[in-house]
Amino acid sequence: MRRTLMFLTIGLLVVGLMAVPALAQPNFAKVKEYRIERSVPPEAQACIECHRSTTPGVFADWAKSRHANANITCLDCHLVQPGDQDIAQDHEKYYNRSDMPWGEAKYKMPIASIVTPKDCSRCHPDEATQYSKSKHANTIEIMWKLDPWLNKGMNSDIERKTGCFNCHGTVITIDDSGKIDPNTWPNAGVGRLNLDGSKGSCTSCHTRHRFSVGEARKPEACDQCHLGPDHPQIEIYEESKHGTIYHAYQDEYNFDAAGGTWTAGVDYRAPTCAACHMSGSGKEPTSHDVTQRLSWETQAPLTVRPQDFKPFPSGTDWKVERQKMKNICSSCHGDSWINDFYDGFDKAVIEYNDVYFKPAKAKLDELYEKGLLDKTKFFDERLEVEYYELWHHEGRRARMGAMMMAPDYAWWHGFYECKLRFANYMEEANHLIETGQKAYIARDFPNATGDTTRPEKIFGKTQ
Amino acid sequence: MKKLIIPAVLVGVGIIIAFPLFSMTYYTMVRTSTPEFCASCHEIKPAVVAWRSSTHTNNASGVVVDCMDCHLPAPQNTFDFFFAKSYHGLKDVAVHFFVGEYDQEKAREAAYAAFDNDQCQKCHRNLLHMPTQRGAMLAHRSVVYARPGYEKKCVDCHYDLVHSERGLVMFRQTRQIPYQAKGLKQL
Repeated sequence: MRRTLMFLTIGLLVVGLMAVPALAQPNFAKVKEYRIERSVPPEAQACIECHRSTTPGVFADWAKSRHANANITCLDCHLVQPGDQDIAQDHEKYYNRSDMPWGEAKYKMPIASIVTPKDCSRCHPDEATQYSKSKHANTIEIMWKLDPWLNKGMNSDIERKTGCFNCHGTVITIDDSGKIDPNTWPNAGVGRLNLDGSKGSCTSCHTRHRFSVGEARKPEACDQCHLGPDHPQIEIYEESKHGTIYHAYQDEYNFDAAGGTWTAGVDYRAPTCAACHMSGSGKEPTSHDVTQRLSWETQAPLTVRPQDFKPFPSGTDWKVERQKMKNICSSCHGDSWINDFYDGFDKAVIEYNDVYFKPAKAKLDELYEKGLLDKTKFFDERLEVEYYELWHHEGRRARMGAMMMAPDYAWWHGFYECKLRFANYMEEANHLIETGQKAYIARDFPNATGDTTRPEKIFGKTQ
Repeated sequence: MKKLIIPAVLVGVGIIIAFPLFSMTYYTMVRTSTPEFCASCHEIKPAVVAWRSSTHTNNASGVVVDCMDCHLPAPQNTFDFFFAKSYHGLKDVAVHFFVGEYDQEKAREAAYAAFDNDQCQKCHRNLLHMPTQRGAMLAHRSVVYARPGYEKKCVDCHYDLVHSERGLVMFRQTRQIPYQAKGLKQL
């Protein structure tokens, strides 16, 4: 009897002890270990030990990262200098908590929540420099130079925060209490303007706290933004041969090859987005500047060469960039294949420009000139929406579908829709011109309340 | 024999004239090479004050890095050193009297632009093997073995090292927060 009781007590004790870590970290059945066996400053050890239990997901992510492999700790990225404006004030109070084993003043370090490309450039200067020149990094400027939603204030600030700015990036500001303004945070947009003046966020593609090169090589890194009716690059990719092969063979791909060694035909059978647009291949070196290798701006209203893209001239020569892309293609394709493909792409782009966009634009200008459409706002008259969707939706699908060889997007979601839209648009436009009747202006256009001031930090003070 | 007397006298006279001339020049060079001399211009004073509180003055090795060590070519490159020093000295005096206004920020940018990595690497030579600073090892590789088109200056990242305003004297060994370069200035 006594033995049974003893076993029972011991048994209960063991089960109880096993449950303790599980209680501390309810969602993590097995706790990731980290024995600090390499030189780490005691302050960084405090970060790690504390965050292992408070944010086990962040810790486990980091523990699996290349950073952990190289002994790069929280402090290497999050540390700031005293007096910096982005010090996380709420974090400081944790260094005065007797109930937390590492909550002591001696471990106190000023840290910032937001880690910026400038911080990353401490160790990765070339990558950060390339990125800073890209359309990704400068997308807030581009967006404000082009977009009627912003410039005419046609959507609300919250529609922008949850929609537009989530991908494009916010202009991070500090509010009166010294904390990051919640209207601008959280955000990992590719063009986020940070407090230190640097643009973008490396974690858009190399998500925290894994910062994986393999992740950014997968199409899933890009499809978080490049999808949907207005730029369905991921759907286009999936329809293409490249995407088909990726889906069929991705388990054989070696995504974690060292930088500069990822090789077409060896590490991957068909390319992903990154493989063509960023990764090195053959004689082309890797670049974090996605604007490189482009010879047409297929997202612009009128397709132009990147150097002629007014909101953000690339400073490149499209012929040089096309040759770069051809060099990438030639890892797997022969010359005639590549040249004949580009021949088709160029013709599709020119047809879109000449047959669809230019006449539609001319008609729009005529309607404005004759006073049949009102220029005050955009989207509040049906023809404006029609014109917008012609280039911004199906016009892009047609061009991008042609570029990345997805027949359904080039035709059914693309030129087919352009054709119908164009015919209807012209019919209504001509009707207004013939009758002299002014277009109906939506009196109840909802939620057109957004701020129309261009961000001062990018455009300077506006008058 | 007689033939040699005149040249010998000339050489002797030459030495008598040259010796004080050279030693005066040398003395002048030494006297005008101290940070105290640099600080005698009010334009330069803030830079010297900031330098005095930096780790380039305060470290357990006791090494003090003077203005000249960074801002002028090494003295063993005698001609370059003398030329650069005289040129800058005369220019600074001329600007002080004839131009007047001194734009510290502009001067700072000009100094960054003029800085060669060799200048820093006169002392900082072992940049690639820092087992406790892996990030720096990676970043320094991209400077020492720069890819074409990606050449960088030490001061592109280390621009807050010496002449920054700080409340207290910075002692390398007692600084509570480890030094980190802030990242590329131009980003």
